[in-house]
Amino acid sequence: MTAPAPLLEVKNLTITFPTPGGTVTVVDDLSFAIRDNATLGVVGESGSGKSMTSLAVMGLLPPGGRATGSVLLDGEELLGRSERELRRIRGERVGMVFQDPLSSLNPYYTVGLQIEEAYRAHRGGSRRAARAVVVEALERVRITDPARRADHYPHQFSGGMRQRIMIAMALCLEPRVLIADEPTTALDVTVQAQILDLLRDLQAQTGMAMLFITHDLAVVSQVAQEVLVMRNGSMVEHGSAEQIFSRPREAYTRVLLDAVPRIDDPFGDLRRVSA
Amino acid sequence: MVGYLARRLLSALGILLLISLFTYVIFFLLSPDPAVLICGKTCTPDRIDQIRGTLGLDQPFWVQFWDFLRGFFVGRTYGDGASAVSCPAPCLGFSFQTNRSVTEMIETRLPVSATVALGAAVLWLLAGVGAGLLSAVKQGTWWDRGAMMFALGGISLPNYFVALILQYVLVVQMQILPFPSAVPFGEDPVRWFQSYLMPWLVLAFGYAAVYARLVRANVLDTLGENFLRTARAKGLSGRLILRRHALRPSLTPVVTMFGMDFAGLLGGALITETVFGLNGVGKLAADSIAKNDQPVIMGVTLLAAFFVVIGNVIVDITYTFLDPRVRIATR
Ligand SMILES: Nc1ncnc2c1ncn2[C@@H]1O[C@H](COP(=O)(O)OP(=O)(O)OP(=O)(O)O)[C@@H](O)[C@H]1O
Ligand SMILES: [Mg+2]
Repeated sequence: MTAPAPLLEVKNLTITFPTPGGTVTVVDDLSFAIRDNATLGVVGESGSGKSMTSLAVMGLLPPGGRATGSVLLDGEELLGRSERELRRIRGERVGMVFQDPLSSLNPYYTVGLQIEEAYRAHRGGSRRAARAVVVEALERVRITDPARRADHYPHQFSGGMRQRIMIAMALCLEPRVLIADEPTTALDVTVQAQILDLLRDLQAQTGMAMLFITHDLAVVSQVAQEVLVMRNGSMVEHGSAEQIFSRPREAYTRVLLDAVPRIDDPFGDLRRVSA
Repeated sequence: MVGYLARRLLSALGILLLISLFTYVIFFLLSPDPAVLICGKTCTPDRIDQIRGTLGLDQPFWVQFWDFLRGFFVGRTYGDGASAVSCPAPCLGFSFQTNRSVTEMIETRLPVSATVALGAAVLWLLAGVGAGLLSAVKQGTWWDRGAMMFALGGISLPNYFVALILQYVLVVQMQILPFPSAVPFGEDPVRWFQSYLMPWLVLAFGYAAVYARLVRANVLDTLGENFLRTARAKGLSGRLILRRHALRPSLTPVVTMFGMDFAGLLGGALITETVFGLNGVGKLAADSIAKNDQPVIMGVTLLAAFFVVIGNVIVDITYTFLDPRVRIATR
C-alpha cells in the first residue's frame, strides 16, 4: 500500500496580478503538501506572498489576481472551479483564520450570529438548532459562559478572545484543513502562547491539517513539523522543522533564524551546536 | 439612557438659547429701527415713540431679550389698557407688515413645508440609496457611469435652475401639470399631488445625487473591509454577504446625513418654495427677508435652528441603536 495522499497539495502555484507596469508575479512556482494531523509552517518576510498563497487556495484572490498550477484538496482540483463550487468548500472543508481578529469580525453583529451564519450557510436548519452548535463551538475554544457570550459584540472581547471566536467560527463545521494566516501576530506574547496551545489541542482532537502562516520563526517552531521558507514569492527552503532550525541550508534562512529572540527558541541550543 | 437623554436635551436647549440670543442681537440691534419701519410714510415722532413703548424698544437690550424669551415660554402682552394686545405662548411677536401673530403664520405654513420635505425625502432616499447601491455593485459598468453622471448633474445644477426648467417643460410647454399652489390634500387630492410633484422632484434630485455618491463610496469602502473577506471565507452567498455584511455598515452613516438634511428642510426650502410659489416656511422666510420683517425673520430662523438641533439629538439617539459600539459607550 502506498502512503496516504496528502489532504492539501499545492503544485507549481503561480500567482500574477496585472498592473499598469505589466504583469507582476507575487508567487512563483510554489509547491507543498500537508497530510492529516500535520502542520506546515510557511515563513517569510512581509510581502513574500504568504497571504496570497493562502487566499489562492480558498479562491479568494483580490480582483485581478490569477492563479495557475494546481491546488488539490483530497485529490480534487480547486483552481478553475466556479464561485458556486468554491463556496461549498470554503468554511465547510477549509476553514480560515486571519491576522487581525477585530477587523475580521463585523462590528455590527453579535459573535453568535457570525458563527451561526457560517454553520447555516452550509448545513441550513433553524436558528435554534444552530444555536447549540454556536455554543459548543465557543466552548471548544474555551470561552467561559459561551451561551451568554454568544450574544456579545466583537468589541466587547479582548484581542485573544476575539481570535478564539475566529477559530470557533472557522472550525464550527469541522473542516479537514485549517489555514491560519498570522493568527497570533496582533496578540501579545502570553496570549499568543495560549492561542498556539489551543490550536495544537484542537488539531489533536480533530486530526485536521493546518497551514500555519507567520513571519515569526519562534511561533512556527511551536506548532509546525514541517517548514517552508519563502522570499519574494519563491520557495527558499523546505524541510522538517528540526532540519530548518538546526541545519538551515540557505543563507536567507540563517538570517531569519538570527532575528529570532533566543528566549523562546527551543532549537537555539541545537543551532549553536551545529554552528 | 435616561440620563444621557436628559443631558442631550439640556444641551440642545442651551444651544437654542444661544442661537436666539445671537439672532436677537443681529436682527434687533444691527438693523434699522423697527418703529420707523412699522410707522411707515405718514409718521410723526410722537407716533414712533408710542410704537417704541408698545414694543418695548425703549428698554435696554437685556430687558428686551428677556421679554422675548418670557413671551416665548409663558406669553406676553404688548402695550396696556384698552389697546393692549395679548400674545399667548409660544409668542414670537407680530409681523411688522401684516400685524399677524408670527406663531400663527408659521403654524399655517409649516404643513406645506413638512409636505415638501416628506415627499422629497421619500424620493431621494429611494433614488439616492438605490443609485448608490447599483453603482457600487456594478462598479465600472455603464450602470455605474450612468448613475454617477446623473449624480454629478444633481450636484452641479442649482435648484432654481432645475426648478425653472422643469416648470417650463411640464407646465408651460407640455401642460401636463398645473401651476403649483398648495392645495390641501382633503380638498383635491389629485391637484394636491400635482402641486407638490415638481418641488419634490427638484429637491429630491439634488439630495439624491449627494446620497448616491455617499452610498457608493461607503459600499466600496465596506467591500474592502477585512470582515467581508471573512464572510467570503465562510462560504456565505454573495447576496447574503451584500445584504448583511456590506449594507449595514454602509448605510448607517446615511442615517446621520438624512436626519440633518430632513431637519434642515423642515425649516423651509427657501428657493424651491419660492420658485413654485408654495406658501411654506421657506417662502415666508424669503418674503420676510425681502421686506425686513424682523419678528418673522426671527421666528423662521429659530424654527429652523430648532429642527436642526432636535434633529441632531434624534440622530445621535438613533445611532446608539444602530451601532453596537456606540451603544455601550453611552448607556
Ligand atoms: N491586488 C494586488 N495587486 C498587485 N499586487 C498585489 C496585490 N495584492 C498584493 N500584492 C502584492 O503581492 C505581494 C505578496 O503579498 P502578501 O500579502 O501575500 O504578502 P505576505 O507575505 O502575506 O506579507 P505580510 O507579512 O505583510 O502579510 C506583495 O508584494 C504585494 O505588494
Ligand atoms: Mg499577509
